[in-house]
Amino acid sequence: MKLFSWLFTAVLVVLLACVLLARTISAGFGAMGVQNGDWVTNVSAGSADAGVMLRATVAVGGLLASTREDSIYYRLNNVAGEPLRLNCRYRITGNDYDADWWSITAYGWDNFLIPNRLKRYAFNNENISRREDGSWVIHLSAEEQSENWLPTGPAGAPAWRQVTNYDFDLLLRLYTPGRAYIETPVSAPLPKVTLEGCS
Amino acid sequence: MKFLSWCLGVFVSAWAGQYVLAFFLPNIIMEALYQRGGDANSYNSMVVAPSPDETARSVVRPSPDLSYASCIYNLGAGPLRIEAPVPERYWSMQFYQMNTDNYGGITNQRDEQNRVGTIVNVTLIGPDSNPADYSGEVVQSPTQRGIVLLRSSNIGDDRESEDALVQSRCGPVVAG
Repeated sequence: MKLFSWLFTAVLVVLLACVLLARTISAGFGAMGVQNGDWVTNVSAGSADAGVMLRATVAVGGLLASTREDSIYYRLNNVAGEPLRLNCRYRITGNDYDADWWSITAYGWDNFLIPNRLKRYAFNNENISRREDGSWVIHLSAEEQSENWLPTGPAGAPAWRQVTNYDFDLLLRLYTPGRAYIETPVSAPLPKVTLEGCS
Repeated sequence: MKFLSWCLGVFVSAWAGQYVLAFFLPNIIMEALYQRGGDANSYNSMVVAPSPDETARSVVRPSPDLSYASCIYNLGAGPLRIEAPVPERYWSMQFYQMNTDNYGGITNQRDEQNRVGTIVNVTLIGPDSNPADYSGEVVQSPTQRGIVLLRSSNIGDDRESEDALVQSRCGPVVAG
């Protein structure tokens, strides 16, 4: 009876530890990162400076990330606190950024590229259509849009496995970033994401 | 009172336990990737991955703007030589140990000597080797096993990027 009691307690401890860890990891960089508007980054991702929790988070959601000298990753999974949803339309506005190149990619909640008819998963500084002044707008939605449409849609993994409160997220990659992104990631210029409406 | 103490004990143990799990998790995930990749292809050789799309599900968050090649290495039998031609657009060679740390890297953007047209030639040695015993560019892996990842921008005309990866090599150092 005593053995059973110990076994039950041990299993409960392990299960509870798993739940606590899953909760931390599903929050992504949010709990241990640097916030810049709705974007979140962590300058220690991929490096030996990373703490135990950050290393685990990167292993699950960003395996084989480079250190900040090579690339900086900003992630966004909510707009003004509202998780990104498949039934909503978003507008991303921006310009150019101090980096060798940059890209914005949409990922499903499962951390993989979102299946879509056009096989369009991202825009980068070269393939994006710009206005005359160099600025640009990306339309992020499940319904097709006329220009710079970044499709969203159900993730490739079965829906019953979804544990996140968002349906998809965005990842901004800045390769060979300028000093502002390395030294002051909290205030470096980034694209702005706004909610246009939901159905 | 006894029940409350038990609850507190369970919660405190679980709280501490999540850090223990977090400590081992990166190694477990890398080990899975290591075994899967090595079994599907082979160890100590450069393998070019297909262009990332929604079917690419071996490593999370692949970039559709990059082409990838990797060498899953085991330095148990000695050092490896990694050769890679450098294309014009963004290119990097990153070294990862089994706890996922990116312990070293070379890029054609930061490093003046690694520009288009050059061939990066690296000797990858194990944790017990002495770097002074080797000439040229030497990278010392903190662990005997790990992954070398080549990234090459495929923005625009991707043929140069693909060619650079296809021509890259990873294999045992040949004496001579």
